[in-house]
Amino acid sequence: MTNTNTAISRDEKDWQRVLWKRLPYPDNYVPPTHFLASLRKNANFTPYTYGPLVLASTSVCQHVANIFIFLSVFLRLKEHTSNPRFIVWLAILLFCVGYVTWEVLLYRQGGTWTRESRSRVMRSAILVFLALLSLAPVLKTLTEATSSDSIWALAFFLFTLHTLLADYTAPRLQESRERLTSVLSMNAAISAAVVLASRLDSDLSVFALVLFSVQMFALFPLLRRRLFSTPAMFRAFITGILSFASISLMSAHSSMAGWIVLSALLFITFVAPALLVWAQRYKNEIRGEWDVAVPEVG
Amino acid sequence: MVCDFFHPNVGGVENHIYLLSVNLLKRGHKVVIVTHSYPPSRVGIRWLVPGLKVYHVPLPVLVSGATLPNYLTFLPWIRPILLREHITIIHGHASLSSFAQEAILHSHLFGIRTVFTDHSLFALDDATGILTNKLLAAALNNVDAAICVSHTARENTVLRANLDPRTVYVIPNALIAEQFQPQAVPPSDTITIVVISRLAYRKGVDLLVASAPRVCAAFPNVRFLIGGDGPKMIDLLQMREKHMLQDRIELVGAVSHSDVRNLLIRGTIYLNTSLTEAFGIGLLEAACTGLYVVSTRVGGVPEVLPEDMISFAHPNEDDVVHALTKAIAIIKAGEHDPFRAHERVKSMYSWEEITKRTEVVYEDIMKRTPIDLWTRIHRTLRLGPFAGIIYGIILVVECLFFFVLEWAFPREDIHYVKEDWDMAKFSE
Repeated sequence: MTNTNTAISRDEKDWQRVLWKRLPYPDNYVPPTHFLASLRKNANFTPYTYGPLVLASTSVCQHVANIFIFLSVFLRLKEHTSNPRFIVWLAILLFCVGYVTWEVLLYRQGGTWTRESRSRVMRSAILVFLALLSLAPVLKTLTEATSSDSIWALAFFLFTLHTLLADYTAPRLQESRERLTSVLSMNAAISAAVVLASRLDSDLSVFALVLFSVQMFALFPLLRRRLFSTPAMFRAFITGILSFASISLMSAHSSMAGWIVLSALLFITFVAPALLVWAQRYKNEIRGEWDVAVPEVG
Repeated sequence: MVCDFFHPNVGGVENHIYLLSVNLLKRGHKVVIVTHSYPPSRVGIRWLVPGLKVYHVPLPVLVSGATLPNYLTFLPWIRPILLREHITIIHGHASLSSFAQEAILHSHLFGIRTVFTDHSLFALDDATGILTNKLLAAALNNVDAAICVSHTARENTVLRANLDPRTVYVIPNALIAEQFQPQAVPPSDTITIVVISRLAYRKGVDLLVASAPRVCAAFPNVRFLIGGDGPKMIDLLQMREKHMLQDRIELVGAVSHSDVRNLLIRGTIYLNTSLTEAFGIGLLEAACTGLYVVSTRVGGVPEVLPEDMISFAHPNEDDVVHALTKAIAIIKAGEHDPFRAHERVKSMYSWEEITKRTEVVYEDIMKRTPIDLWTRIHRTLRLGPFAGIIYGIILVVECLFFFVLEWAFPREDIHYVKEDWDMAKFSE
C-alpha cells in the first residue's frame, strides 16, 4: 500500500478530513500524510517472556500428569496388580494431606476458618464417601452393556474435554463463583471415571477408582488454584513430583507409554511456551478510530 | 444494485439504496434492484414508486435478513437477470450482504464492472471482524471501485479488504432536507434533549444512563426524550425509577423513520452517545431539523458537521455531562439558530450531489481496463494459504458452472427486456 498519488500534484494543505464541505479533490484522493494517520499497531501489547510462561504452564502439566496417574491406577485395578483396599486408603491419605495443605495455605493468606466450617467439610467428606460406597454397584453396571471400544473412545473424549475446559488461571480477588467451564471440566473427568469403572470386576475396585477420581479431578484443581499464592519453587516441586509419579507409573505398564508421557509433559512445560514466544513476532494488532470505544462510567 | 437489505425491511442501508436508485433513475439511468424474497407476499418482480424494478430472489435467509453465502447457487438466478436487463455495472451494498459479495464475484463472467459500498465499520480484532473480513477481502479482491461513507470508514475498509486506497472513494450519505424541516417553537425555559437510537451497548446507552441523572440534577429545566428500543431499555427504566425522574425522562419506545422528525422537533439538543459510527445519519437528521448536536467523538462522526454545529465528548461520563452543559449554555444564550442550521445542512448534503459523485465513480470504472481471469485467479490465490486455495477453487468451479449454464440455458432462450420504463414518457 503506497501512498503516492502522482495524478494529483496539488498541495495537500487545504485538504480537510471533513464530509460537509466539498473539497477540490476527487473522491478517491489519498492524502499522503493524513491517510491512516491515526493507525496504531500493537498499541497495548506486552510481549510474553519465557520464564513466567513456563511457570504458568506448570498448571497444565500438573493437570495432564494427574490424568496419567489416574489411568495408571485404573489399569492396575483392572489387571489386579494393585489391591483396591490400598487405593481406598491412598485416596483417604491424599485427602488428609490435601486438606492439611489447604488449611495451611488458608492460614498463611489470613483467611478465617471456623470450627463450624471444618465440621461441615468433614461431614460432606464422609457423606460423599458413604454415597460412593453405596452407589458403587450401580456405577459398575451403569455402562456395562456398552462395548469396550466405545468406552475407550468416550473416556478419551471426556479427558480431552477435561483438559481443554479446566481453569488454569490464578484465582482473582473477590471471586466467589467458579467459572462454568471449570465445573464442566470436573464433570467430564468424573464421567470418564464412571464409564471406565464399568470395566472393573468388583464393587470395591469401582468404589476405589471413583473415590480416587474425586480426589484427582474435583478436589485437586481447587487446591491447585490455591497453590498460586505459594512460591514458584514450591509449585515447580509439586509439578516435579506429579510428573515423576505419572511417568514412573505409566512406564511400569509399558516403557513406550512412559516415553509418551515424558515427551508430552516436556512439550507442555518447555516447548509450548517457547512456541508461543516465537509466534509473537507475527502479532499484528491494528487499532484506529473505527474501533468500538469503551465507555467510562463512574 | 444488489443487496440483501432492502424494502420491505427498514433501515439506513435500505433507505440509502432506494434514494440513490431513484436519483439515478431521475438522471436517466436504468436501475434494477436485486434482493432476496420476503415470502409470502414479496416474491418475484416488484415495481416501486417511481418505476424502480426489484427482483426478489427466492434464496433462504440466514440471520437478520441476510442470506446464507451461496456462491454457486446464486449464479443461475443472477445470470438471466443480468442478461435480460442488459446490465453494465453491479453496485453491491453492505459488507454483511452475501448477495452483494456474490454478485461481484460473478460479474466478470458477463464483462460487468463492479462497485461496492461499505456502510459500516468493523473492528479488526474481534470474532465477527476476523470472519467477515476474510469474506470481504475475497469479494473485494477483484472489485473495480469501492465507496465508503466517511474517511474513517475508508481507512477501515482499505485495511480490512486490503484494497488499493486509490480505488476507494469517499461519498457521504445524504438526506432529504425537506423531510426535516425545523418548526418554530415559542420560546420556553424548558430544554429538551432528544436521543433517538437503538438501545444497545454499541450505541453507548451506558453513557446515557450514567449522565442523564447528573444533567437532570444540575439543570432543573432540562427534560430528556428518548426514542428507540432494544436490550438496554431495562437499564434506562431502572435509572429513571432509581432517580425518580419519571416526569422528566420520557421513553417513547420504537420510532418509525417517518416519525423521527415529529420527535426531533420537540427538542432543542440532540444527544448521540454511540461508541462506534461509520457516518451518523441520525445526528445529521437532527442537525437538519435545527437541533444542536452533542456527540461522542467516535468513528466518522467528527467529519459530518462543522465544529460550530456540534459539541464533542470523549466516551466517558464526565465529558458527556460537560459537553451537555456547554450545549445547554449555548441554547440558553440563543446562539443557535435552528433555521440557519437547516439551511446549512441543506447546502451540505443533497442526494443530487451524491448521485453526481457516484456517477463519477461509474464513469471512472468504465474507463479502466477490465481485470482478466488469469489476474483474478492470481490475486485470489494471494489471499492466504487456506482462503486463497478455497476461493481459487470456487472461482474455477464457478467458471465451469457458468459454461454448463450457458449450454443448458442458452442466451437465445432468455426473454430480453426490449423496452425500458421511461419516466419522461410516462409524465407526458
